Amino acid sequence: MPWVTIVWNDPVNLMSYVTYVFQSYFGYPKKKAEKLMLDVHEKGKAVVSAGSREEMERDTEAMHSYGLWATLQKEGE
Amino acid sequence: MSAKFHLAETELLASLVGQLLDLVHGEQKDSSGDDPLAAVVGFGPEAERPTDPVLLRLFPDGYHDDDEAAADFRRFTENSLREAKANAAAMVLASLATAEGARPDGDVDDADVNQSDKVRIDLDEEQSTAWLRTLTDLRLALGTRLGVEEGDEEHWAALPADDPRRHVHDVYAWLGWVQETLVRAISP
Repeated sequence: MPWVTIVWNDPVNLMSYVTYVFQSYFGYPKKKAEKLMLDVHEKGKAVVSAGSREEMERDTEAMHSYGLWATLQKEGE
Repeated sequence: MSAKFHLAETELLASLVGQLLDLVHGEQKDSSGDDPLAAVVGFGPEAERPTDPVLLRLFPDGYHDDDEAAADFRRFTENSLREAKANAAAMVLASLATAEGARPDGDVDDADVNQSDKVRIDLDEEQSTAWLRTLTDLRLALGTRLGVEEGDEEHWAALPADDPRRHVHDVYAWLGWVQETLVRAISP
């Protein structure tokens, strides 16, 4: 699983909305979604998914469609 | 679920969503008018990386440090992203038009219709999702244009009452309140 999708903090998106996106798109349980949201908010970014490059491009595009700021990259870079 | 608005609020929303549609369609529009909200609109060469910060925020790079991969990603995704945003915005406009209590022609100049009249809008799940996405896009557009930063509420509240940016920020904050209410209503 050498690729990851990263969501970056931004000053506009609501914390509740970011949590909602992680729950409804990735199907994460509320606790995990909230933890990821807090990582984004407090650390500036969080790895939200991992997989093939094609899968991460799909996830990144989906995050953009929700209005979240996301990029993909090789894991660990 | 159902949402209640003042008639004037649905008018404002419809106007903003209309501007958003122009923006994601990349239509050139005169933004020199006296309506500060119109400043959100404009620009839009497609396929290339946008120079306008609002468009760049709505259609961000998919790669951080790889311009070539970012350009490829944009070429493959931007059109469908534009379409998705436009479809959501169109769905919001359509649901606004169903506001019960509003006149079918949307004419609010008649003497028997008050801007403060309450109207009700019923939303199914698909429509609620479209609202969340579109409210996000509107807030991204307004927030980016204003230069909103985290924890800067006092800055905006301290602006003179006649500063147009203060009015735009009021709208931005109100959209955030509407979105927060909606997220809480539909969150699993």
